[in-house]
Amino acid sequence: MTAEPSVVVAERYARGATVAAVVIAGFWHLGYDSVVTVANWGVYTRQWAAAVGWVLYLVVGVAGAVLLLRGGSRRWAWPLGVAALAVDVLLVLAAPAQVILPPNWAWGAVGWVAVIVFWRHRAAHLVAFLVADTALLVVSMVAVDAGSSQHVSRAIMVLLGAFTLQLGYNFGGHGLRTAAGWAARDSAARTEATARRAAAEAVAEDRAQRYRELHRATATLLAELAAGADPADPAIRRRAAAGAARLRRLMAETDDVPDPLLHELRAGADVAERRGVQVSLSVVGTVPQLPVDLRRALTEAPILGLSAARSVARVTVVASQQEVAVAVVADAPPVRLSQPRGVDLTHDRDGDQLWLETRWTGG
Amino acid sequence: MTGLPVTVGIIEDHPVVVDGVTTWINADPGQRAVVVGSGADVDEVLAGPAGAADVLLLDLHLGETVVVDRVAELCTAGRRVVVYSGMDDPDTILAVLEAGASAFLSKHEAGGHCVDTIVAVATDRPYVTPSVAGALLSEAPHLSAQERTALLLWFQSMSKASVARRMGLSEATVRQYIDRARVKYAKLGRPAPTKTALLARAIEDGLIRADEIREYRSHAAE
Repeated sequence: MTAEPSVVVAERYARGATVAAVVIAGFWHLGYDSVVTVANWGVYTRQWAAAVGWVLYLVVGVAGAVLLLRGGSRRWAWPLGVAALAVDVLLVLAAPAQVILPPNWAWGAVGWVAVIVFWRHRAAHLVAFLVADTALLVVSMVAVDAGSSQHVSRAIMVLLGAFTLQLGYNFGGHGLRTAAGWAARDSAARTEATARRAAAEAVAEDRAQRYRELHRATATLLAELAAGADPADPAIRRRAAAGAARLRRLMAETDDVPDPLLHELRAGADVAERRGVQVSLSVVGTVPQLPVDLRRALTEAPILGLSAARSVARVTVVASQQEVAVAVVADAPPVRLSQPRGVDLTHDRDGDQLWLETRWTGG
Repeated sequence: MTGLPVTVGIIEDHPVVVDGVTTWINADPGQRAVVVGSGADVDEVLAGPAGAADVLLLDLHLGETVVVDRVAELCTAGRRVVVYSGMDDPDTILAVLEAGASAFLSKHEAGGHCVDTIVAVATDRPYVTPSVAGALLSEAPHLSAQERTALLLWFQSMSKASVARRMGLSEATVRQYIDRARVKYAKLGRPAPTKTALLARAIEDGLIRADEIREYRSHAAE
Protein backbone atom coordinates (compact mmCIF):
# COMPACT_ATOMS: atom_id res chain seq x y z
CA MET A 1 0.00 0.00 0.00
CA THR A 2 1.49 3.30 -1.00
CA ALA A 3 1.04 6.47 1.01
CA GLU A 4 1.39 8.84 -1.95
CA PRO A 5 -1.80 10.95 -1.68
CA SER A 6 -2.34 11.23 -5.43
CA VAL A 7 -2.23 7.45 -5.75
CA VAL A 8 -4.59 7.00 -2.80
CA VAL A 9 -7.15 9.42 -4.27
CA ALA A 10 -6.90 7.92 -7.76
CA GLU A 11 -7.35 4.43 -6.33
CA ARG A 12 -10.43 5.54 -4.46
CA TYR A 13 -11.96 6.98 -7.66
CA ALA A 14 -11.06 3.87 -9.63
CA ARG A 15 -12.68 1.71 -6.99
CA GLY A 16 -15.90 3.73 -7.22
CA ALA A 17 -15.98 3.36 -11.01
CA THR A 18 -15.39 -0.42 -10.87
CA VAL A 19 -18.14 -0.89 -8.30
CA ALA A 20 -20.47 1.16 -10.52
CA ALA A 21 -19.61 -1.03 -13.56
CA VAL A 22 -20.44 -4.18 -11.59
CA VAL A 23 -23.72 -2.69 -10.39
CA ILE A 24 -24.74 -1.69 -13.93
CA ALA A 25 -23.98 -5.19 -15.32
CA GLY A 26 -25.85 -6.78 -12.42
CA PHE A 27 -28.96 -4.64 -12.87
CA TRP A 28 -28.84 -5.11 -16.63
CA HIS A 29 -28.85 -8.88 -16.34
CA LEU A 30 -31.22 -9.33 -13.42
CA GLY A 31 -33.51 -6.47 -14.39
CA TYR A 32 -33.68 -6.64 -18.20
CA ASP A 33 -32.37 -10.03 -19.37
CA SER A 34 -34.28 -12.03 -16.75
CA VAL A 35 -37.56 -10.30 -17.49
CA VAL A 36 -37.19 -10.76 -21.23
CA THR A 37 -36.19 -14.43 -20.81
CA VAL A 38 -39.17 -15.22 -18.62
CA ALA A 39 -41.62 -13.24 -20.77
CA ASN A 40 -40.52 -15.07 -23.93
CA TRP A 41 -40.06 -18.51 -22.37
CA GLY A 42 -42.62 -20.06 -24.71
CA VAL A 43 -40.91 -18.54 -27.75
CA TYR A 44 -37.62 -20.44 -27.26
CA THR A 45 -37.38 -23.63 -29.31
CA ARG A 46 -34.49 -24.85 -27.18
CA GLN A 47 -35.35 -23.66 -23.69
CA TRP A 48 -32.35 -25.40 -22.11
CA ALA A 49 -30.03 -23.23 -24.23
CA ALA A 50 -31.76 -20.07 -23.04
CA ALA A 51 -31.47 -21.23 -19.42
CA VAL A 52 -27.79 -22.21 -19.77
CA GLY A 53 -27.06 -18.89 -21.52
CA TRP A 54 -28.70 -16.95 -18.73
CA VAL A 55 -26.72 -18.89 -16.07
CA LEU A 56 -23.45 -18.67 -17.99
CA TYR A 57 -23.86 -14.88 -18.25
CA LEU A 58 -24.38 -14.74 -14.50
CA VAL A 59 -21.34 -16.95 -13.82
CA VAL A 60 -19.08 -14.87 -16.09
CA GLY A 61 -20.40 -11.66 -14.53
CA VAL A 62 -19.82 -12.86 -10.94
CA ALA A 63 -16.36 -14.26 -11.73
CA GLY A 64 -15.38 -11.04 -13.50
CA ALA A 65 -16.69 -8.89 -10.65
CA VAL A 66 -14.85 -10.92 -8.02
CA LEU A 67 -11.59 -10.77 -9.97
CA LEU A 68 -11.98 -7.01 -10.47
CA LEU A 69 -13.03 -6.04 -6.94
CA ARG A 70 -10.61 -8.42 -5.19
CA GLY A 71 -7.71 -7.56 -7.50
CA GLY A 72 -7.34 -11.14 -8.81
CA SER A 73 -5.31 -12.34 -11.78
CA ARG A 74 -5.80 -10.54 -15.12
CA ARG A 75 -5.09 -13.75 -17.09
CA TRP A 76 -8.75 -14.78 -16.82
CA ALA A 77 -10.02 -11.84 -18.88
CA TRP A 78 -10.03 -13.51 -22.29
CA PRO A 79 -11.30 -16.94 -21.11
CA LEU A 80 -14.19 -15.10 -19.47
CA GLY A 81 -14.63 -12.99 -22.62
CA VAL A 82 -14.87 -16.15 -24.73
CA ALA A 83 -17.42 -17.57 -22.27
CA ALA A 84 -19.44 -14.36 -22.66
CA LEU A 85 -19.38 -14.80 -26.44
CA ALA A 86 -20.65 -18.34 -25.88
CA VAL A 87 -23.76 -16.76 -24.35
CA ASP A 88 -24.41 -15.20 -27.80
CA VAL A 89 -24.19 -18.63 -29.42
CA LEU A 90 -26.46 -20.25 -26.82
CA LEU A 91 -29.19 -17.67 -27.33
CA VAL A 92 -29.01 -18.01 -31.11
CA LEU A 93 -29.43 -21.76 -30.53
CA ALA A 94 -32.33 -21.12 -28.15
CA ALA A 95 -34.34 -19.17 -30.71
CA PRO A 96 -32.77 -19.14 -34.21
CA ALA A 97 -35.79 -17.39 -35.65
CA GLN A 98 -35.59 -14.58 -33.13
CA VAL A 99 -31.94 -13.75 -33.79
CA ILE A 100 -32.37 -9.99 -33.58
CA LEU A 101 -35.68 -9.82 -31.76
CA PRO A 102 -36.18 -9.14 -28.02
CA PRO A 103 -35.99 -12.82 -26.85
CA ASN A 104 -32.29 -12.74 -27.84
CA TRP A 105 -31.03 -10.34 -25.24
CA ALA A 106 -27.36 -11.40 -25.50
CA TRP A 107 -26.00 -9.09 -28.25
CA GLY A 108 -26.07 -5.89 -26.26
CA ALA A 109 -25.87 -7.41 -22.79
CA VAL A 110 -22.57 -9.32 -23.07
CA GLY A 111 -20.81 -5.98 -23.59
CA TRP A 112 -21.53 -5.10 -19.96
CA VAL A 113 -19.75 -8.16 -18.56
CA ALA A 114 -16.97 -7.39 -21.00
CA VAL A 115 -16.65 -3.92 -19.44
CA ILE A 116 -16.05 -5.59 -16.08
CA VAL A 117 -13.77 -8.34 -17.38
CA PHE A 118 -11.56 -5.98 -19.42
CA TRP A 119 -11.61 -3.02 -16.97
CA ARG A 120 -7.98 -3.49 -16.09
CA HIS A 121 -6.89 -3.93 -19.71
CA ARG A 122 -6.31 -1.37 -22.39
CA ALA A 123 -9.48 -0.22 -24.18
CA ALA A 124 -8.39 -2.14 -27.32
CA HIS A 125 -9.33 -5.42 -25.60
CA LEU A 126 -12.89 -4.24 -25.02
CA VAL A 127 -13.11 -2.99 -28.61
CA ALA A 128 -11.82 -6.36 -29.89
CA PHE A 129 -14.46 -8.11 -27.82
CA LEU A 130 -17.22 -5.89 -29.22
CA VAL A 131 -15.96 -6.52 -32.75
CA ALA A 132 -16.09 -10.28 -32.08
CA ASP A 133 -19.61 -9.87 -30.70
CA THR A 134 -20.62 -8.01 -33.86
CA ALA A 135 -18.98 -10.64 -36.09
CA LEU A 136 -20.92 -13.38 -34.32
CA LEU A 137 -24.14 -11.46 -34.87
CA VAL A 138 -23.41 -11.02 -38.57
CA VAL A 139 -22.52 -14.72 -38.97
CA SER A 140 -25.69 -15.72 -37.09
CA MET A 141 -27.89 -13.46 -39.24
CA VAL A 142 -26.38 -14.93 -42.39
CA ALA A 143 -26.78 -18.46 -41.04
CA VAL A 144 -30.47 -18.07 -40.22
CA ASP A 145 -30.99 -15.96 -43.29
CA ALA A 146 -32.24 -12.91 -41.44
CA GLY A 147 -30.97 -10.42 -43.97
CA SER A 148 -33.97 -8.15 -44.40
CA SER A 149 -33.36 -4.42 -44.11
CA GLN A 150 -35.54 -4.41 -41.02
CA HIS A 151 -33.30 -7.00 -39.38
CA VAL A 152 -30.12 -5.18 -40.35
CA SER A 153 -31.31 -1.81 -39.09
CA ARG A 154 -32.50 -3.40 -35.88
CA ALA A 155 -29.11 -5.08 -35.41
CA ILE A 156 -27.30 -1.82 -36.00
CA MET A 157 -29.54 -0.07 -33.48
CA VAL A 158 -28.97 -2.74 -30.80
CA LEU A 159 -25.22 -2.82 -31.25
CA LEU A 160 -24.69 0.92 -31.57
CA GLY A 161 -26.93 1.66 -28.62
CA ALA A 162 -25.17 -0.84 -26.37
CA PHE A 163 -21.61 -0.20 -27.57
CA THR A 164 -21.86 3.56 -27.21
CA LEU A 165 -22.91 3.22 -23.60
CA GLN A 166 -20.33 0.53 -22.79
CA LEU A 167 -17.36 2.20 -24.49
CA GLY A 168 -18.43 5.59 -23.15
CA TYR A 169 -18.65 4.27 -19.64
CA ASN A 170 -15.26 2.59 -19.97
CA PHE A 171 -13.50 5.72 -21.23
CA GLY A 172 -15.33 7.94 -18.77
CA GLY A 173 -14.41 5.81 -15.77
CA HIS A 174 -10.75 5.66 -16.72
CA GLY A 175 -10.66 9.37 -17.58
CA LEU A 176 -12.11 10.19 -14.18
CA ARG A 177 -9.35 8.23 -12.54
CA THR A 178 -6.67 10.07 -14.51
CA ALA A 179 -8.24 13.43 -13.67
CA ALA A 180 -8.43 12.48 -9.99
CA GLY A 181 -4.73 11.61 -10.08
CA TRP A 182 -3.92 15.04 -11.55
CA ALA A 183 -6.02 16.82 -8.96
CA ALA A 184 -4.49 14.86 -6.08
CA ARG A 185 -0.93 15.45 -7.32
CA ASP A 186 -1.70 19.16 -7.65
CA SER A 187 -3.09 19.29 -4.15
CA ALA A 188 -0.10 17.39 -2.70
CA ALA A 189 2.30 19.80 -4.41
CA ARG A 190 0.36 22.76 -3.00
CA THR A 191 0.41 21.27 0.53
CA GLU A 192 4.14 20.71 0.28
CA ALA A 193 4.73 24.28 -0.84
CA THR A 194 2.61 25.57 2.06
CA ALA A 195 4.52 23.43 4.56
CA ARG A 196 7.84 24.62 3.19
CA ARG A 197 6.75 28.24 3.47
CA ALA A 198 5.54 27.71 7.07
CA ALA A 199 8.88 26.11 7.99
CA ALA A 200 10.79 28.99 6.41
CA GLU A 201 8.67 31.50 8.31
CA ALA A 202 9.23 29.62 11.59
CA VAL A 203 12.99 29.60 11.03
CA ALA A 204 12.97 33.31 10.23
CA GLU A 205 10.86 34.11 13.29
CA ASP A 206 13.18 31.99 15.44
CA ARG A 207 16.19 33.91 14.13
CA ALA A 208 14.51 37.22 14.82
CA GLN A 209 13.62 36.05 18.31
CA ARG A 210 17.19 34.99 19.00
CA TYR A 211 18.46 38.27 17.73
CA ARG A 212 16.14 40.09 20.14
CA GLU A 213 17.35 37.84 22.98
CA LEU A 214 20.99 38.50 22.17
CA HIS A 215 20.25 42.17 21.92
CA ARG A 216 18.55 42.18 25.29
CA ALA A 217 21.36 40.17 26.89
CA THR A 218 24.24 42.33 25.78
CA ALA A 219 23.29 45.58 24.12
CA THR A 220 22.67 47.60 27.28
CA LEU A 221 25.92 46.45 28.83
CA LEU A 222 27.94 47.15 25.70
CA ALA A 223 26.34 50.59 25.42
CA GLU A 224 27.30 51.36 29.01
CA LEU A 225 30.85 50.22 28.40
CA ALA A 226 31.01 52.35 25.27
CA ALA A 227 29.74 55.30 27.27
CA GLY A 228 32.65 54.92 29.67
CA ALA A 229 31.56 52.43 32.35
CA ASP A 230 34.54 51.01 34.23
CA PRO A 231 35.27 47.40 33.18
CA ALA A 232 37.05 46.90 36.51
CA ASP A 233 33.84 47.58 38.43
CA PRO A 234 32.78 44.25 40.04
CA ALA A 235 29.14 44.90 39.21
CA ILE A 236 29.94 45.43 35.54
CA ARG A 237 32.12 42.30 35.54
CA ARG A 238 29.29 40.27 37.05
CA ARG A 239 26.85 41.52 34.45
CA ALA A 240 29.36 40.76 31.71
CA ALA A 241 29.79 37.24 33.08
CA ALA A 242 26.01 36.79 33.24
CA GLY A 243 25.68 38.10 29.67
CA ALA A 244 28.36 35.67 28.48
CA ALA A 245 26.65 32.78 30.25
CA ARG A 246 23.30 33.75 28.72
CA LEU A 247 24.83 33.85 25.26
CA ARG A 248 26.31 30.41 25.82
CA ARG A 249 22.93 29.16 26.93
CA LEU A 250 21.21 30.68 23.88
CA MET A 251 23.68 28.86 21.68
CA ALA A 252 23.29 25.65 23.66
CA GLU A 253 19.48 25.84 23.30
CA THR A 254 19.68 24.97 19.60
CA ASP A 255 22.06 22.06 20.07
CA ASP A 256 20.43 18.72 19.54
CA VAL A 257 21.43 16.83 22.68
CA PRO A 258 19.66 14.18 24.76
CA ASP A 259 19.63 16.30 27.94
CA PRO A 260 19.07 19.93 26.90
CA LEU A 261 18.59 21.35 30.42
CA LEU A 262 21.88 19.92 31.68
CA HIS A 263 23.57 20.93 28.45
CA GLU A 264 22.46 24.55 28.96
CA LEU A 265 23.53 24.51 32.61
CA ARG A 266 26.93 23.14 31.61
CA ALA A 267 27.25 25.97 29.10
CA GLY A 268 26.70 28.42 31.99
CA ALA A 269 29.14 26.49 34.20
CA ASP A 270 31.79 26.63 31.46
CA VAL A 271 31.72 30.41 31.49
CA ALA A 272 32.13 30.48 35.28
CA GLU A 273 34.99 27.96 35.10
CA ARG A 274 36.82 30.15 32.62
CA ARG A 275 36.75 32.87 35.22
CA GLY A 276 38.50 30.47 37.59
CA VAL A 277 35.42 29.43 39.57
CA GLN A 278 35.48 25.79 40.65
CA VAL A 279 32.08 24.44 39.61
CA SER A 280 30.62 21.07 40.42
CA LEU A 281 27.37 19.84 38.90
CA SER A 282 25.48 16.99 40.55
CA VAL A 283 22.41 15.49 38.98
CA VAL A 284 19.90 13.15 40.56
CA GLY A 285 17.15 11.52 38.55
CA THR A 286 16.23 11.84 34.89
CA VAL A 287 15.29 15.24 33.52
CA PRO A 288 12.00 15.09 31.58
CA GLN A 289 11.51 16.78 28.19
CA LEU A 290 10.79 20.44 28.87
CA PRO A 291 9.96 23.20 26.37
CA VAL A 292 12.64 25.81 25.78
CA ASP A 293 10.88 28.66 27.63
CA LEU A 294 10.54 26.49 30.74
CA ARG A 295 14.19 25.50 30.53
CA ARG A 296 15.09 29.15 30.19
CA ALA A 297 13.04 30.01 33.28
CA LEU A 298 14.74 27.20 35.22
CA THR A 299 18.29 28.19 34.20
CA GLU A 300 18.06 31.99 34.34
CA ALA A 301 18.55 32.43 38.11
CA PRO A 302 21.19 29.66 38.39
CA ILE A 303 23.16 31.38 35.61
CA LEU A 304 23.06 34.63 37.55
CA GLY A 305 24.23 32.78 40.67
CA LEU A 306 27.05 31.09 38.75
CA SER A 307 28.07 34.38 37.20
CA ALA A 308 28.29 36.03 40.59
CA ALA A 309 30.33 33.20 42.19
CA ARG A 310 33.79 34.25 43.39
CA SER A 311 35.61 30.93 43.69
CA VAL A 312 33.34 27.93 44.29
CA ALA A 313 29.90 27.01 43.02
CA ARG A 314 27.90 23.84 43.35
CA VAL A 315 24.99 23.25 40.98
CA THR A 316 22.51 20.53 41.82
CA VAL A 317 19.66 19.22 39.73
CA VAL A 318 17.01 16.95 41.19
CA ALA A 319 14.60 15.74 38.57
CA SER A 320 11.64 13.46 38.23
CA GLN A 321 8.74 13.39 35.79
CA GLN A 322 6.72 15.66 38.10
CA GLU A 323 9.39 18.00 39.40
CA VAL A 324 12.69 19.58 38.44
CA ALA A 325 14.69 21.59 41.01
CA VAL A 326 17.86 23.43 40.02
CA ALA A 327 19.90 24.93 42.84
CA VAL A 328 23.16 26.85 43.08
CA VAL A 329 25.28 27.32 46.19
CA ALA A 330 28.11 29.76 45.65
CA ASP A 331 30.28 32.27 47.46
CA ALA A 332 28.66 35.21 45.81
CA PRO A 333 27.52 38.72 46.67
CA PRO A 334 23.76 39.36 46.66
CA VAL A 335 22.31 39.30 43.17
CA ARG A 336 19.16 40.88 41.88
CA LEU A 337 16.72 38.18 40.80
CA SER A 338 13.41 38.53 39.05
CA GLN A 339 10.66 35.97 39.47
CA PRO A 340 10.64 33.79 36.34
CA ARG A 341 7.38 32.64 34.73
CA GLY A 342 6.24 29.08 35.29
CA VAL A 343 8.76 28.17 37.98
CA ASP A 344 9.22 28.94 41.69
CA LEU A 345 12.31 30.84 42.71
CA THR A 346 13.59 30.87 46.29
CA HIS A 347 16.89 32.17 47.59
CA ASP A 348 18.73 32.62 50.84
CA ARG A 349 22.02 33.83 52.22
CA ASP A 350 24.26 32.31 54.85
CA GLY A 351 27.30 34.49 55.54
CA ASP A 352 28.95 34.99 52.16
CA GLN A 353 27.16 31.98 50.74
CA LEU A 354 24.33 32.46 48.29
CA TRP A 355 21.77 29.73 47.82
CA LEU A 356 19.08 29.86 45.21
CA GLU A 357 16.71 27.35 43.75
CA THR A 358 14.31 27.29 40.80
CA ARG A 359 11.71 24.62 40.87
CA TRP A 360 9.19 23.46 38.28
CA THR A 361 6.33 21.29 39.41
CA GLY A 362 4.50 19.64 36.57
CA GLY A 363 1.15 17.99 36.25
CA MET B 1 31.17 6.91 73.67
CA THR B 2 34.08 6.14 75.91
CA GLY B 3 35.83 9.46 75.42
CA LEU B 4 38.70 7.81 73.59
CA PRO B 5 39.20 9.14 70.06
CA VAL B 6 37.80 7.08 67.19
CA THR B 7 40.52 5.14 65.39
CA VAL B 8 40.55 5.47 61.59
CA GLY B 9 42.27 3.48 58.84
CA ILE B 10 42.59 5.16 55.46
CA ILE B 11 42.75 3.06 52.28
CA GLU B 12 43.66 5.43 49.49
CA ASP B 13 46.24 5.40 46.72
CA HIS B 14 46.92 9.13 46.56
CA PRO B 15 49.28 10.21 49.36
CA VAL B 16 48.09 13.79 49.00
CA VAL B 17 44.54 12.72 49.82
CA VAL B 18 45.74 10.69 52.84
CA ASP B 19 47.63 13.76 54.07
CA GLY B 20 44.61 15.97 53.44
CA VAL B 21 42.20 13.73 55.34
CA THR B 22 44.72 13.32 58.19
CA THR B 23 45.01 17.10 58.37
CA TRP B 24 41.23 17.49 58.62
CA ILE B 25 41.07 14.86 61.36
CA ASN B 26 43.93 16.41 63.31
CA ALA B 27 42.42 19.87 62.93
CA ASP B 28 39.14 18.80 64.56
CA PRO B 29 38.76 21.01 67.64
CA GLY B 30 37.34 18.12 69.71
CA GLN B 31 40.14 15.75 68.69
CA ARG B 32 37.40 13.17 68.22
CA ALA B 33 39.36 10.89 65.88
CA VAL B 34 42.87 9.71 65.13
CA VAL B 35 44.40 8.09 62.05
CA VAL B 36 46.10 4.82 63.00
CA GLY B 37 47.11 3.52 59.59
CA SER B 38 46.92 4.12 55.86
CA GLY B 39 47.92 2.62 52.53
CA ALA B 40 46.97 1.91 48.98
CA ASP B 41 46.12 -1.77 49.42
CA VAL B 42 43.15 -3.10 51.40
CA ASP B 43 44.90 -6.20 52.70
CA GLU B 44 48.13 -4.41 53.60
CA VAL B 45 46.30 -1.77 55.61
CA LEU B 46 44.26 -4.41 57.47
CA ALA B 47 47.43 -6.34 58.28
CA GLY B 48 48.89 -3.27 59.95
CA PRO B 49 47.86 -1.24 63.00
CA ALA B 50 44.64 -0.21 61.20
CA GLY B 51 43.46 -3.85 61.37
CA ALA B 52 41.55 -2.98 64.55
CA ALA B 53 40.46 0.54 63.57
CA ASP B 54 36.91 1.59 64.45
CA VAL B 55 36.30 3.02 61.01
CA LEU B 56 37.82 2.37 57.57
CA LEU B 57 37.85 5.21 55.09
CA LEU B 58 37.90 3.49 51.69
CA ASP B 59 38.56 5.00 48.28
CA LEU B 60 36.78 3.10 45.53
CA HIS B 61 39.55 3.75 43.01
CA LEU B 62 42.80 2.07 44.01
CA GLY B 63 45.34 2.30 41.22
CA GLU B 64 43.72 0.76 38.20
CA THR B 65 41.06 -1.22 40.05
CA VAL B 66 37.63 -0.24 41.33
CA VAL B 67 37.00 -2.03 44.61
CA VAL B 68 33.21 -1.72 44.88
CA ASP B 69 33.02 -5.51 45.32
CA ARG B 70 35.35 -5.41 48.35
CA VAL B 71 32.87 -3.25 50.29
CA ALA B 72 30.48 -6.12 50.97
CA GLU B 73 33.33 -8.35 52.06
CA LEU B 74 34.67 -5.78 54.54
CA CYS B 75 31.21 -5.02 55.93
CA THR B 76 30.35 -8.70 56.32
CA ALA B 77 33.53 -9.06 58.35
CA GLY B 78 32.00 -6.56 60.76
CA ARG B 79 33.89 -3.45 59.74
CA ARG B 80 32.41 0.02 59.63
CA VAL B 81 33.25 1.36 56.20
CA VAL B 82 33.00 4.95 55.04
CA VAL B 83 33.36 5.05 51.28
CA TYR B 84 35.22 8.11 50.15
CA SER B 85 35.13 8.59 46.40
CA GLY B 86 34.75 10.95 43.52
CA MET B 87 32.41 8.51 41.82
CA ASP B 88 29.32 10.09 43.33
CA ASP B 89 26.62 9.10 40.88
CA PRO B 90 23.46 7.76 42.58
CA ASP B 91 24.00 4.24 41.26
CA THR B 92 27.45 3.91 42.80
CA ILE B 93 26.32 5.46 46.08
CA LEU B 94 23.34 3.13 46.36
CA ALA B 95 25.49 0.15 45.38
CA VAL B 96 28.01 0.71 48.18
CA LEU B 97 25.25 1.47 50.71
CA GLU B 98 23.54 -1.76 49.74
CA ALA B 99 26.83 -3.56 50.11
CA GLY B 100 26.80 -2.43 53.72
CA ALA B 101 28.85 0.78 53.78
CA SER B 102 27.87 2.97 56.74
CA ALA B 103 28.26 6.20 54.84
CA PHE B 104 29.35 7.68 51.56
CA LEU B 105 31.50 10.79 51.37
CA SER B 106 31.87 12.47 48.02
CA LYS B 107 35.27 14.01 47.30
CA HIS B 108 33.37 17.12 46.27
CA GLU B 109 31.96 17.68 49.70
CA ALA B 110 34.45 15.95 51.98
CA GLY B 111 36.03 18.77 53.99
CA GLY B 112 33.10 19.89 56.07
CA HIS B 113 31.66 16.45 56.62
CA CYS B 114 34.62 14.11 57.00
CA VAL B 115 35.15 14.09 60.78
CA ASP B 116 31.43 14.31 61.54
CA THR B 117 30.80 11.31 59.34
CA ILE B 118 33.59 9.24 60.90
CA VAL B 119 32.47 9.97 64.45
CA ALA B 120 28.83 9.30 63.70
CA VAL B 121 29.65 6.01 61.99
CA ALA B 122 31.90 4.91 64.89
CA THR B 123 28.94 5.26 67.24
CA ASP B 124 26.61 3.45 64.81
CA ARG B 125 24.59 6.58 64.17
CA PRO B 126 23.25 6.99 60.67
CA TYR B 127 25.00 9.85 58.96
CA VAL B 128 23.72 11.13 55.66
CA THR B 129 25.99 13.29 53.56
CA PRO B 130 24.51 15.61 50.92
CA SER B 131 25.49 13.26 48.10
CA VAL B 132 23.80 10.33 49.84
CA ALA B 133 20.75 12.54 50.28
CA GLY B 134 20.72 13.01 46.50
CA ALA B 135 21.00 9.28 45.88
CA LEU B 136 18.15 8.61 48.32
CA LEU B 137 16.00 11.25 46.61
CA SER B 138 16.28 9.41 43.34
CA GLU B 139 15.54 6.03 44.88
CA ALA B 140 13.33 6.04 47.96
CA PRO B 141 9.65 6.64 47.27
CA HIS B 142 8.33 6.12 50.80
CA LEU B 143 9.55 9.38 52.32
CA SER B 144 7.23 11.88 53.96
CA ALA B 145 7.00 15.35 52.45
CA GLN B 146 9.12 16.84 55.24
CA GLU B 147 11.76 14.14 54.92
CA ARG B 148 11.89 14.67 51.19
CA THR B 149 12.21 18.43 51.52
CA ALA B 150 14.93 18.00 54.12
CA LEU B 151 16.82 15.59 51.84
CA LEU B 152 16.40 17.89 48.85
CA LEU B 153 17.67 20.97 50.67
CA TRP B 154 20.46 19.01 52.34
CA PHE B 155 21.54 17.70 48.93
CA GLN B 156 21.63 21.23 47.56
CA SER B 157 23.08 22.83 50.59
CA MET B 158 26.22 23.23 52.65
CA SER B 159 25.07 22.84 56.24
CA LYS B 160 22.21 21.36 58.23
CA ALA B 161 21.90 24.73 59.95
CA SER B 162 20.97 26.39 56.67
CA VAL B 163 18.49 23.62 55.89
CA ALA B 164 16.93 24.13 59.33
CA ARG B 165 16.67 27.86 58.74
CA ARG B 166 14.99 27.42 55.38
CA MET B 167 12.53 24.86 56.71
CA GLY B 168 11.89 26.85 59.86
CA LEU B 169 12.89 23.93 62.10
CA SER B 170 15.59 23.20 64.64
CA GLU B 171 18.80 21.65 63.40
CA ALA B 172 18.12 18.55 65.50
CA THR B 173 14.77 18.02 63.80
CA VAL B 174 16.36 18.37 60.37
CA ARG B 175 19.01 15.82 61.36
CA GLN B 176 16.25 13.51 62.50
CA TYR B 177 14.38 13.83 59.20
CA ILE B 178 17.49 13.16 57.18
CA ASP B 179 18.61 10.24 59.34
CA ARG B 180 15.14 8.82 59.32
CA ALA B 181 15.12 8.86 55.55
CA ARG B 182 18.37 6.90 55.66
CA VAL B 183 16.93 4.43 58.14
CA LYS B 184 13.80 4.01 56.04
CA TYR B 185 16.00 3.31 53.10
CA ALA B 186 17.97 0.74 55.11
CA LYS B 187 14.67 -0.76 56.17
CA LEU B 188 13.66 -1.21 52.56
CA GLY B 189 15.91 -4.03 53.38
CA ARG B 190 18.78 -5.39 51.41
CA PRO B 191 21.22 -7.48 53.42
CA ALA B 192 23.72 -5.07 54.94
CA PRO B 193 25.45 -6.17 58.11
CA THR B 194 26.05 -2.76 59.67
CA LYS B 195 22.38 -1.99 59.25
CA THR B 196 21.79 -4.05 62.36
CA ALA B 197 23.19 -0.98 64.05
CA LEU B 198 20.56 1.11 62.30
CA LEU B 199 17.92 -1.23 63.61
CA ALA B 200 18.32 0.12 67.14
CA ARG B 201 17.78 3.61 65.84
CA ALA B 202 14.79 2.55 63.80
CA ILE B 203 13.12 1.05 66.86
CA GLU B 204 14.00 4.14 68.85
CA ASP B 205 12.24 6.30 66.26
CA GLY B 206 9.25 4.02 66.21
CA LEU B 207 9.86 3.15 62.58
CA ILE B 208 10.04 -0.56 63.32
CA ARG B 209 7.85 -2.38 65.81
CA ALA B 210 9.44 -5.04 68.01
CA ASP B 211 7.42 -7.82 66.34
CA GLU B 212 8.93 -6.89 63.00
CA ILE B 213 12.46 -7.62 64.16
CA ARG B 214 12.35 -11.32 63.48
CA GLU B 215 11.42 -10.64 59.90
CA TYR B 216 14.15 -8.07 59.60
CA ARG B 217 16.79 -10.46 60.95
CA SER B 218 15.74 -13.33 58.76
CA HIS B 219 15.94 -11.02 55.83
CA ALA B 220 19.40 -9.82 56.79
CA ALA B 221 20.61 -13.38 57.24
CA GLU B 222 19.77 -14.42 53.69
